[in-house]
Amino acid sequence: MSEWSFEELAVWDDKITSKAKEYDLDWFPIMYEVCDYYEMIGHMSYHGMPSHYQHWSYGKTFERTHQLYNMGMEGLPYELIINSDPSIAYLMRENPLYLQILIMCHCVGHSDFFKNNRMFADTRPESACIRFRSARKRIQSYIEDPSIGVSKVEDILDAAHSIKFHTDWYPLKKLTHKELKEVYLEKVKNDETGDYEDFDLDEIPLEPDYDLLGFIAEHSRHLSEWQRDVINIVKDETQYFIPQMKTKIMNEGWASYWHYRLMNELDLPQKHHIPFLKSHNQVIRPHIGGINPYHLGFTMFKKIEERYGLERCFFARETSHDESFLREYLTEEDCQELNLFSFSKKRDARTIDDISDEDGWKKIKADLIKTVGLNTIPKIYVDLIEPGGVLVIKHEHEGRDLELSYADEVCQHVMTLWGDVVKLITIVEGEPWEI
Amino acid sequence: MSIFKEHKTSADRSATDRRRHKEKIEKAIREGVHNIIAEESIIGQEGKKKIRIPVKGIKEYRFVYGDNNQNKKVGSAPGKNIKRGQQVGDKDEPAAAGNKPGDEAGVEYYDVEITLEELAVYLFNDLELPDLEKKAMSKIISEKMKRSGYRSQGIRPRLDKKNSLRRKLKRKASAKRMGLHDEDDRFPFHDDDLKYKHIKNQVSETSNAVIFFMMDISGSMTKEKKYLARSFFFLLYHFINHKYENVDLVFLAHDVQAYEVNEDQFFKRGHGGGTMVSSAVEAALEIISKRYFPDSWNIYAFHCSDGDNWPNDTEKCLDLTNKLRDLCQLYGYCEIEPNEERIRWTDPDSTLSNTYQTLLGKNFKIVKIEKTEDIWPAFKRLFGGKLGV
Repeated sequence: MSEWSFEELAVWDDKITSKAKEYDLDWFPIMYEVCDYYEMIGHMSYHGMPSHYQHWSYGKTFERTHQLYNMGMEGLPYELIINSDPSIAYLMRENPLYLQILIMCHCVGHSDFFKNNRMFADTRPESACIRFRSARKRIQSYIEDPSIGVSKVEDILDAAHSIKFHTDWYPLKKLTHKELKEVYLEKVKNDETGDYEDFDLDEIPLEPDYDLLGFIAEHSRHLSEWQRDVINIVKDETQYFIPQMKTKIMNEGWASYWHYRLMNELDLPQKHHIPFLKSHNQVIRPHIGGINPYHLGFTMFKKIEERYGLERCFFARETSHDESFLREYLTEEDCQELNLFSFSKKRDARTIDDISDEDGWKKIKADLIKTVGLNTIPKIYVDLIEPGGVLVIKHEHEGRDLELSYADEVCQHVMTLWGDVVKLITIVEGEPWEI
Repeated sequence: MSIFKEHKTSADRSATDRRRHKEKIEKAIREGVHNIIAEESIIGQEGKKKIRIPVKGIKEYRFVYGDNNQNKKVGSAPGKNIKRGQQVGDKDEPAAAGNKPGDEAGVEYYDVEITLEELAVYLFNDLELPDLEKKAMSKIISEKMKRSGYRSQGIRPRLDKKNSLRRKLKRKASAKRMGLHDEDDRFPFHDDDLKYKHIKNQVSETSNAVIFFMMDISGSMTKEKKYLARSFFFLLYHFINHKYENVDLVFLAHDVQAYEVNEDQFFKRGHGGGTMVSSAVEAALEIISKRYFPDSWNIYAFHCSDGDNWPNDTEKCLDLTNKLRDLCQLYGYCEIEPNEERIRWTDPDSTLSNTYQTLLGKNFKIVKIEKTEDIWPAFKRLFGGKLGV
C-alpha cells in the first residue's frame, strides 16, 4: 500500500503549478502515470516512449538497469519524463510522498525546458508519441512479414544503430540532393571568379554530407523499400533525441534548480522537508572523478542567478545548449570550486593531466566541452562515391583518434546498409589510415 | 493542473527484446566455444572449474574515440587534494558527462563465465551418441536415500528443529493476537509443532560406459601431435561423460607394445621406437573380457595415431580391430598429421586410415586432424547429430 493517495498528489500538484506559474515557468500539461519499479525500468529501456519498436538492444538495456537496481541503487529517485505535448511522466508507486512531490517539481522544470529551449524547436512534441507508435507498427509489420522476418529486420536495425548518431545535428532544413544541385547549377552558371570552373555537377555528394543515414537511404542502390523505411525510422528517432543529448547538463540542471527552489517554497511539513533535502543532495552530489550532469547543471544555474539574476537563467534555458552554456558561463572560479581536473589513459594507467589552477583551468574547460553534448561523437561524413559504387567516408580528425577495432565493426555495418564496398579514411597517430 | 492515472498495461514490455538478447548471448557462446576448446587452459580441467569465454557480437559498435592520451576526460573532486601526474584509479572509473553507457570503447565486456559442465551443454546438445544397441544390462539399478518433504511423525534424529520452532513461534504469535497468551508465561512446544524430515528410497538407473583411449606414443608422435590428440580426447571424454552417469576411462599407450597407464602418464609419457597398433587393440580386447563385459557396458574406443604402423603388423591389426569394433558402440580412429609433415617419407597408401577403409561403417569412423581448428569439425563428424557433418 502506498502511503499517499492520488488526491494528495493532486493537492500538491496544485501548489506546485501555482508556484511555478508565479515564476513564469511555461510547460506542457503533464500526465503522470503511476507504475511499479519493474514497469519503470521497462519504460526507461525504451527512452520513456510509451510505444517503441522492438530491438534486442533494449532488452540488454533492461537487463543492465535491472542489475544495477538489484546491486543496491534502488534508493535512487528515478524520474522519467518525455518531450511530448502533453508530457508523459512516470511516478514509481514504491516512492514515498515527499519523493513524488520532488519528482513532480523536477518534471515541471524538464517540461518547461522542452517547451522553451531553442534546440527543441523542431521536435514536434505534439506528435511524438504517434510517430513512435507508427514506427513500432511498421517495424512490427516487417518482422511479421514472412518474406522478411525478425533476423533481416535486426540486421538492418543493428547496422543503422551503429551509425544512428551520424545524421543532421542542426535543426535546419537540409536540402535534398536535387535542391542542392540547383544551388550549385546557379553558382556554376553565374561563375565570375572561376571558382566553379572544374565543378562536377554529377558528383554525389556535391558537398560533404554528415547525414550518413539519410545519404545511404537516398543513394544506396541495393536497399528495398522496407529497408529504407527502417533506416529513416532510426534517423527520425535520433533527430528527436539529439536536442536532449545536446542539453543533458542544462536540462538536468534546470530541472534540479527548479525542484530545489519550488520545494523550498512549498511549506513542506518537517517530516517531508528533511528527507527531501537528503534526496536532493544525493541527486546533485558531485561524482568524484567524473561529471554528474545534475550537479554541474545545478551549480551553473545557481552561479548564473548569483552573478546576473534569474532573468539570465531563463535566457540561457531558451538559447543555449551544453557546449555554449559552459563556454559562456563556466568561470575560473567555478572550475576551482568544482575542483575540475582532466585525465587520460597513458601507457598503463590513468593520470591527471591538468588541474584547475591559473594555468590549467582554460585547458580543462576546453577538454570538458569536448566531452559534452554531441562532442563525444566523432564527426564522420560522406566524401564521395568512387567508381564501382565504393562509398568513401571520412573522419574529420580534430585531435582524437578513432578506436579502430570499433570503427572496423561499424564499417561492416555500413557495408550491410550500403551494399557495396565502404572505405573509411581517418588519421591514426598522425598518419593517414584507411579501413 | 496535471493529470494522474494508474499505469494501465501490465504487459512486460521488454520481454521479447530480452529473449532476443538472451538468444544472441547463447548463440555467441555456442560460436565462441568452438574457438576455445583447443585452448590449453581448459584442457584437463575439472568439471566444476569456471572458465571465461569472451563473447563477441553483443556489443553495439559505434564510432568512438580511442581511450588514449589524446582523449582527455574531465572529472570533479570538490574538496580533494589533487595534483598533476597523480594516478586515477580504474576502480570508480567515471563515464564522462553526457555519455550513455556503451558510447565508449572498452566499457562493455561480455566475458561469460561458465563451468565446463555448462560448456558441455552448449557444445554437445546438438550432437548425438550413436545409439546402436540398447544394452540389456546397461542400466544398473541403484537405490538412494533422498529427502522428501516433512511428516508429523518420525524418529528423533530426523526432527527438523528449525521448522518446529518456527511453527511454535507462529502459534505463539497468533495466540498473542487472540489475547490467549501473555508474554511472561511459558509457551511450551506442542506435539503439533514438531515436524520430521521424511526420507524416501529412490530408485535410480545408472548407465555405464567405458572409453578406451588408445594413443600411439612412438617416436614419430611429436609433442604437437600429442597435444592435438589430447585436445581431441578431452572433448570425447567430456561428451561421453555428459551423456552417461558412470564413465570409466582406460588409457592405453602403445609403441610396439601396449601399456595401461593413468591419464597423467598417458599424455606425458614419450617413447621412442616403432609402432605396433595391434598391441593396443589386443590389450583393449583383453581388458574388456576381464573387466567390461560387453552386455553391461557401453564401450567406446578411440585411437589416435599419426598413421604409421609396421607393415608386417597390418594384417593382425586389421583382424583385431575388427573384433574390437564388433564389441563397441563406436570405434573412432583419428589420424593426426600436422601440416608441416605433409611430405613424408612414408607411402601415403600405407597409412592406417587407408588400411582401415575396409572397416568403415556405422560404428567405425575415421577422422583426420591437421591443426587445432580441425578438432571440432572432426568431432562433429564422429557424432554427426543435428549439426550435420
